[in-house]
Amino acid sequence: MTRFRPAGGIQALAFVVVLAVLPLLFGQHWVVSLLVFTVMYAGLAGSWNLLGGYAGYPALGHGAFFGIGAYAMTIGTTHLGVGGGYRPFLLVVPIAVGTAVVVLPIARLLLRTRAVAFAVLSITVMFMVQTLAYNIRGLTGGSQGIAVPLAPFAADTFERPFYYAMAVLLAVTVAVCWVVRTSKLGLALNAVRDDEDRARGLGVQTELVKLVAFSVSAGLTAAFGAVWAYYISYVFPGFAIDPLLSLGAILMAFLGGRRTLWGPVIGAALIVPAQQYFAYRYGASHLYLVAYAALFLLVIYLLPDGVIPSIVHRITRLRSSHRARARKDQILMEPALTPGERG
Amino acid sequence: MHLLLQATIAGILVGGVYALLASGQAMIFGVTRTVNFAQAIFAILSAYLSYTLFVDIGLDPFLSVLVLVPAMFAFGGGIYILMLRRLSRSSAELALLVLYALGIGVQGVLDFAYQTNTRVIAPAYADSSWTIAGYQIPVVRFYAFVLAAAVLYALYVIRQHTKLGRALRATTQNPVAARLLGVDVERISAIAMGLGVAAAGAAGAVFGMVIPFNGNSQYDLLSKLLSIAVLGGMASMGGTIVAAVILGVVESVVAATISPDWSAFAFLVVLFAVLMFRPQGLFGRRLRGAL
Amino acid sequence: MVSTVRRSWTVPACLAAALLLGACSTSATTSSPGSSGAPLVIGASMSLSGDFADLAGPAKKGYDLWADTVNAKGGLLGRKVSLKIVDDASNPTQVVTNYQNLITADHVDLVFGPFSSLLTVPAATIASRFGYAFVEPSGGAPQVFALHLHNLFLAQPAPIVTSGDAYAAYILSLPADKRPHTAAYPTADDPFTTAIVTRIRQRLEAAGIRTVYSQTYAAETVDLSPITTRLVAEKPDLIISGTGGADAVAEVKGMVQAHWTPKFVYFTGGPNDPTFPSKVGAANAEGIFGTSDWLAEAKTAGNADFIKAYVAKYGGTAADIDPAAAEAFACGQLLELVAQRTGKIDNATIISALHKGSWPTVEGNLTWDADGATQGADIVVQWVGGKLLPVYPPAEAFAKPIAKPAWAG
Repeated sequence: MTRFRPAGGIQALAFVVVLAVLPLLFGQHWVVSLLVFTVMYAGLAGSWNLLGGYAGYPALGHGAFFGIGAYAMTIGTTHLGVGGGYRPFLLVVPIAVGTAVVVLPIARLLLRTRAVAFAVLSITVMFMVQTLAYNIRGLTGGSQGIAVPLAPFAADTFERPFYYAMAVLLAVTVAVCWVVRTSKLGLALNAVRDDEDRARGLGVQTELVKLVAFSVSAGLTAAFGAVWAYYISYVFPGFAIDPLLSLGAILMAFLGGRRTLWGPVIGAALIVPAQQYFAYRYGASHLYLVAYAALFLLVIYLLPDGVIPSIVHRITRLRSSHRARARKDQILMEPALTPGERG
Repeated sequence: MHLLLQATIAGILVGGVYALLASGQAMIFGVTRTVNFAQAIFAILSAYLSYTLFVDIGLDPFLSVLVLVPAMFAFGGGIYILMLRRLSRSSAELALLVLYALGIGVQGVLDFAYQTNTRVIAPAYADSSWTIAGYQIPVVRFYAFVLAAAVLYALYVIRQHTKLGRALRATTQNPVAARLLGVDVERISAIAMGLGVAAAGAAGAVFGMVIPFNGNSQYDLLSKLLSIAVLGGMASMGGTIVAAVILGVVESVVAATISPDWSAFAFLVVLFAVLMFRPQGLFGRRLRGAL
Repeated sequence: MVSTVRRSWTVPACLAAALLLGACSTSATTSSPGSSGAPLVIGASMSLSGDFADLAGPAKKGYDLWADTVNAKGGLLGRKVSLKIVDDASNPTQVVTNYQNLITADHVDLVFGPFSSLLTVPAATIASRFGYAFVEPSGGAPQVFALHLHNLFLAQPAPIVTSGDAYAAYILSLPADKRPHTAAYPTADDPFTTAIVTRIRQRLEAAGIRTVYSQTYAAETVDLSPITTRLVAEKPDLIISGTGGADAVAEVKGMVQAHWTPKFVYFTGGPNDPTFPSKVGAANAEGIFGTSDWLAEAKTAGNADFIKAYVAKYGGTAADIDPAAAEAFACGQLLELVAQRTGKIDNATIISALHKGSWPTVEGNLTWDADGATQGADIVVQWVGGKLLPVYPPAEAFAKPIAKPAWAG
């Protein structure tokens, strides 16, 4: 049963308003373009988190699903003749659902392993998908790549439809994460993460919940891939199925806080602009990688649990020490009570 | 048939070098429970250093191993002491991320220092090969294999027949018990890391002769190493050797007889199949939690 | 226990702050719009790290050299040229961000193209949207021209697809007894090499040359021994190999180690790299064919000055210059010519001017079709006597083609 808290509703509203208003506040093209990628990564981190954070299964191969979404978009718009304009956005939902269904058999196999073996197997699947993308040339264009019809949007606000598509997907991702967290499914996933064997012994439907987490996670990731393909307008196997993409999303989830709702979003909001900025400003001197690594390390050492838990922890400690001091003052200030007077 | 045997020989030779790299990683994992995501870039660092020694003072890469192994040992141990010791044992994932970030940083420094054009260490004998019973045996790959075997043997001797080795094995099996028995787990962990990175150093020095490399080569190499580690069993050094040779042979044979496009795929299928039945790998042990 | 109501506000606050911080962190640098006297800022995204980094380096040198040369002459229309080169890490997402930033944040006056057709495609569409001319050095794959962009101009004499035509023509020009009877076609899987090799293969098969081995391998493959094993096993007369450079070196070494020499060897990428002989051995490089869009010996417009300036700035000799540097330099030359011929240097003028007439650069005299593909031809080159010389077509040849000598151990 999902519990609905008023504070949660206000959070959600604030979030949606911020998302909706951002491109209007910062209208410059480069900002909106950056926001497209930031929101995309936030969603990728969030959907990864369902499997990697809540269930504790470190999937390193989500790039495969992103690529499947991207190719599905290109195949839909070209081979299936869906065409351009706003119609490709309509393809996103069937692509997400289709991917979620198609991965079920693979997920069943993969989820039989755990931790590092699972991680490596997921990378394996990703490279397999990449190989298929290179080799099934009739469908995917192979290494020649395949084009998505260029969007006909007005040059002035070209990036906006893509931003809003990504933003809607992000809102859906956060909503899904929230529903999962506050439901029995979330509890089951946490149980799996903490001690899977014991959970199963206690009667938790571990197989089913893991499968659901995997499938939903994959479907959402594919949705982002589909919109990305339309934005970049050309899909090559090496770029669409990219191990660094998965690693980036994971880093953001870790940074923000893997067991939290907003963690992945905050992680993405901090890392994506910083990373693109570093590449832009410092790339020419090759020090961009060094700066990026330094930032990464700084975060790991200073905020080992992620941004949100660390901040919350700090606030909690401040408050409890504040409260302890207040209690101490109170005790000192209270006149001594005789046994008879104590009520 | 000739083709098949030729490809198998080539696969075994290159598998030896991968085995050395992967064994180092297995040793590190066994003792510290951390997957060294920077193993590949450390090998490449060593390759660059070997290249510099070769180009600047004409030191043969096989001889440079004598210099690089101790240097990389110190480097690995230093990394553990400076960066990993402060992370608690339970945060294996954080250690993994730290090493990953370090790897990126090292790549950045290498890109900066050496620029990004690919290099190859090319001593005079680099292109020669022997022909034995009609099969090609490239000289460099053969000696690289011999070196890898020698270093692996040395590691084996250390593990099985020295007090240090006993401490390493004890910590791998059960760190808490080892500590209770008087093993300085932190010191042993640092040494294990040093040994693992030294193995990478030895492998890297000769790797640079076999394949053109730059900072970006680390990703391809890392994915091979991870596949080998999982197939062989994360902490099992013997397992990783077997798995590395399997990788080398499968890739080489499939590439020669079917197509290079499918060689990596074929190995992944093998890996997949094994893990379905034995998730801990060929020689790994089923550990609760961490695996 | 911490109050949940209070805690819930910290999160959206963090979120908003993070997003604002992120959005503001990439603050724009100012660059004054085109008042005369103010520097002319030209932006370009280059692959300074990542997969293409080793190939993109010479292109950056070409751009830098051109900027120095033109500034020494007083700049373009009295304005000093200032290059803003940024790194795209060989990644299309970064390329999009870079050109967005260059054009709409830093408001550069003009842009040059990135390295590699794979990155040129997304970059060109952005430039087109904002009306920027897109002169680019290395995006010659068919996909680039399939975009049908009016603002795009390739700075090479021929697009990729036709660069192999010259070699096919050479083979077919040989008398029947000297022609190869069998051919092998290994190629790396990327739009550059596959297009060339496929096209040559179609022409040669139609002329009756039998294909004994054909293989596409993943572009990142570094271990070519399976390929060379098959080549040695099949022993074709002619090898047409789609390579990027490092794989060409690997294939030669593989054949050397196997002690087998084909009659004709052609690589799409590799031989026209000046360091090729040092990588495979000077004696082994002898007789290997390639095609080139630029040669040090060519008498193209400004070539001698380009070489002199290059050697003065970067050292080495003319033989060390990678064609990528010349391609980038040619991009700059085109801008200079537009300025000279029209007296203006804004994007609209560049676009309309370049579509008419012929434009002489170090890459030859260039003309373009409506999609930005050039309409010339590349030249067949061969390593003869330790030098890379044009050998076909005879009109442009500096030497006659030689037979491939056996590998030197």
